Amino acid sequence: MPLDRRIVDEFVGVLGAADVLSDPIKTRTYECDGLTGYRVVPELVLLPRTAEAVAECVKVCARHGVPFVARGAGTGLSGGALPVADGVVIGLNRLNRVLEVDPENRRAVLEPGVTNLEITAAASPFGLYYAPDPSSQQVCTIGGNVAENSGGAHCLKYGFTTNHVLSIEVVLPDGSLVTLGSDSAEQSGPDLRGVFLGSEGTLGITTKITVRLLRTPETMRTLLADFPSVAAGGQVVSDIVSAGIVPAAVEMMDALAIEAAEGATGAGYSLDTPAALVVELDGTAEECDDQFEQVKAICDRHGCTRLHIAGSPEERAAIWRGRKAAFAAVGRISPDYIVQDGVVPRTRLSEVLDKIAEMADDAGLRVANVFHAGDGNLHPLVLYSEADGEVERAEELSSGIAELCVAMGGSLSGEHGIGTDKACSMPTMFGEDDLEAFHRVRTAFDPGDICNPGKLFPTPRLCGERPGKYRPHPLEEQGAIERL
Amino acid sequence: MTRAAPTTLRPTTPKEVRDAVLDTPGRLAIAGAGTAADWAGRLDDVDATLDTTGLTGVIAHNPGDMTVSVHAGTPLRDLAGEIGEHRQRLALDAARIPRGATVGGLLATADAGPSALVYGSMRDLVIGTTTVLADGTMVRSGGHVIKNVAGYDMAKLLHGSYGTLGVLVEVVLRLHPVPKATATVAVDGPLTSAAEHTARLVQSPLEPIACEWISGDPGRLLVRLEGGESTLHLRVDRLMELLGDGAHEVDDAVWDEHAALVAGVPGLGDNGLGDNGSRDNGSRDNGSRDNGSRDNGSRDNGTGAGGPAADAAPEGAVLRIGAAPTRLPSLIAELPATAVAAGLGTGVATVTVPGAAVAEAHDAVAAANGTSSLRSRSADLDAPAWGPPPSGLPVLKAIKHKLDPDGRLSPGRFHPWM
Ligand SMILES: Cc1cc2nc3c(=O)[nH]c(=O)nc-3n(C[C@H](O)[C@H](O)[C@H](O)COP(=O)(O)OP(=O)(O)OC[C@H]3O[C@@H](n4cnc5c(N)ncnc54)[C@H](O)[C@@H]3O)c2cc1C
Ligand SMILES: Cc1cc2nc3c(=O)[nH]c(=O)nc-3n(C[C@H](O)[C@H](O)[C@H](O)COP(=O)(O)OP(=O)(O)OC[C@H]3O[C@@H](n4cnc5c(N)ncnc54)[C@H](O)[C@@H]3O)c2cc1C
Repeated sequence: MPLDRRIVDEFVGVLGAADVLSDPIKTRTYECDGLTGYRVVPELVLLPRTAEAVAECVKVCARHGVPFVARGAGTGLSGGALPVADGVVIGLNRLNRVLEVDPENRRAVLEPGVTNLEITAAASPFGLYYAPDPSSQQVCTIGGNVAENSGGAHCLKYGFTTNHVLSIEVVLPDGSLVTLGSDSAEQSGPDLRGVFLGSEGTLGITTKITVRLLRTPETMRTLLADFPSVAAGGQVVSDIVSAGIVPAAVEMMDALAIEAAEGATGAGYSLDTPAALVVELDGTAEECDDQFEQVKAICDRHGCTRLHIAGSPEERAAIWRGRKAAFAAVGRISPDYIVQDGVVPRTRLSEVLDKIAEMADDAGLRVANVFHAGDGNLHPLVLYSEADGEVERAEELSSGIAELCVAMGGSLSGEHGIGTDKACSMPTMFGEDDLEAFHRVRTAFDPGDICNPGKLFPTPRLCGERPGKYRPHPLEEQGAIERL
Repeated sequence: MTRAAPTTLRPTTPKEVRDAVLDTPGRLAIAGAGTAADWAGRLDDVDATLDTTGLTGVIAHNPGDMTVSVHAGTPLRDLAGEIGEHRQRLALDAARIPRGATVGGLLATADAGPSALVYGSMRDLVIGTTTVLADGTMVRSGGHVIKNVAGYDMAKLLHGSYGTLGVLVEVVLRLHPVPKATATVAVDGPLTSAAEHTARLVQSPLEPIACEWISGDPGRLLVRLEGGESTLHLRVDRLMELLGDGAHEVDDAVWDEHAALVAGVPGLGDNGLGDNGSRDNGSRDNGSRDNGSRDNGSRDNGTGAGGPAADAAPEGAVLRIGAAPTRLPSLIAELPATAVAAGLGTGVATVTVPGAAVAEAHDAVAAANGTSSLRSRSADLDAPAWGPPPSGLPVLKAIKHKLDPDGRLSPGRFHPWM
């Protein structure tokens, strides 16, 4: 049902006609996020320029029961920003100012549309940086990062978005503007900021964020090591951690992923190795050198067949380029593929990888593996060919893998979120009582069910649809961002 | 102190907790070891107390994953001993205070020690919880993996909830390696000079784990470093150079003085802060000793005070305050504080003020855009436990109403907010 003309006029009254898009050609741009399999054209797209304007828009929505969906850069991979048909999308890109960098207190105050990388750009003149580093960091917004509790390769040591956000100003679904969190690590009362973080846009709209900044490490050491098996690589990760070393990042790739990445980038990976690890250490020069020697010894002990140490910033960049290109590059070795995102306890990595290989064999499909080995976050890529009629088998295999992760004591998602994509799998991880309690929290924030309704929780409508195959995000196609 | 409740229930399994909550009509207090029983708002009358100290033990420790799940009534001290055998620890330095605080109690009080500068508080270390709600619903969130974005993070809601939203029965924690070596460097001086040192320190690459000023005559800045056996001394040298004249290495025991101040009982002599030569023969290697196995206090004696400060009662009222780090020194200077432990990197301080000054102190903190809450105080002190309510209060009330519609759990803890 189209929105009542009078309601549209109210939005225009708040924002002015230029910032209210209703032309279907324009609103179509907002029909999906990075999960392109689901598409819904919104009635209206609102583009406020201030927090107060966001609050006024939400008040109009609350008054008339109009559902709204917040949107940052639209890079989400789980369909979190998927519009609601007779609702509005509130785009936050115009709230994109870095309001303050406070080097003495090591923090920055940001509007939600600031991109992740812009934070570090603003902080670096002071020798500071913002730690969480999703691969989409060039374009994804801090508002989206807060909603998704985004992570990145360096989260093993430094934690996720939730560990770096001191306070947020949010517009609640009734249009009130409140601050959650505080200026220090101390808080008064339950941690509402912590509940809001990672709530995938279902509890309100973030309009201002205060983040912690870290000092740029004195030293960084990066190595690339080949191993005779994925299991040997996994053992190296365990031994590094058992030795009391917390690397800044530990990433693993299997033969298929290496083949694709090396073919695409020529970054210097070995083509004949079953597994490769990228290990990065950072810290003070003394500690870093000391730990680096220990890591080399551990690699040797597990039959490392080649150890390449980045000798210059360019070599380090090349190692990371190969790693980060792996996803897009898989397109070179398979016409179609699905990206899965599950987590297992680190010690079960090789067991789960064996299992995935078995499941892939049974399905007659190939799976390439690229993952954050340090925190057990897998990104299996299920390769298939739509033309050969393999779609259904591939989808089954992909959700089978996500559910396998849960069965192994892990999680349905490590970084891409539940959104629209995996809402139907939530009951494999959570019981009815758990989901019901989540729902109570949700309704405490949003009694009218107007804030990004239908996401995160399984609904009959969602579970009747299918997400469809992986399609590159438009920005990936342009080569602007890479998937990790 | 809270009044004695007519009934005390002491369940030993999550299911018994659920039964106790379901079968006990009326209002319930939730208690751990009682070490923070007099913190925050005073409990109203309750019909029964649910004592969680029977709910103990490690459920699963996975050394390779560096995670552990425990029953919520487990004293952190006991847990520290067990995981310490694998040279792992919960990176929360309440372990230095062997008073028996439970994992559930630490989470429910949102507590943290000096190393929050790097490791954060319980909110940053907890990765999963199981909680019994007022209607007996058993809720699990999170899990055993550190990277996890499925569902709402209920552990955060329980963090700082003081028993008002549910009973924590199981907690899954992320562990860290026990450092190969630690060292503490001290430099004496007033708060202002400590703040100057800290400003330079946080800009240096030295990565301090804790950076705390403790009051005394003239007061002392304590900086803790962690690192490798053969490398730490190099950084200690760099640190001493940075702190300049008078900087010297001190023994770990200096942190007991800090803990006593945090508890509002500077019990070591009049100020406990003057020269204490015997402490200053620095040792770098502390290994698992650092990890809570050191037991220097009797089990708490009902007042909750153990350790070196066991006999002293808090004088005045202990306030926990937080503000942007650079605002903290001037804020503290404004308060009529008699004892102070100030995290100059975190912006979190514990101060003792006269009971009559509590309301005024809350206002001063709020004026600096900070947060404050009342901790230990004498039984007869009638002072507000919390500063002005946060703007998010309506949503907090709504959550309370959804999870505990009849207001059964820990009534009064957030008085006057709720
Ligand atoms: C190539 C590629 C690589 C990626 N790599 C990573 C990675 O390494 N790690 C990782 O964690 N993720 C990764 N992602 C996923 C995605 O980039 C992140 O989830 C990111 O945080 C989304 O930000 P966004 O601004 O694009 O949000 P959007 O996609 O616009 O929105 C995502 C969700 O956040 C909500 N939202 C957005 N802004 C607000 C706001 N201001 N207030 C309230 N809710 C809001 C939306 O409603 C939606 O539910 C990747 C995505 C791509 C396409
Ligand atoms: C003298 C002294 C010094 C201290 N110094 C430090 C320090 O330096 N650093 C530091 O980090 N800590 C310190 N502590 C803090 C102490 O370790 C914590 O306060 C801890 O939270 C107390 O745990 P408990 O089990 O005794 O909780 P209790 O005192 O029993 O309970 C505290 C609150 O938590 C709630 N609660 C308890 N268990 C549960 C549960 N299972 N589920 C839900 N709610 C629950 C209760 O309802 C109550 O509101 C100190 C405490 C004292 C008394």
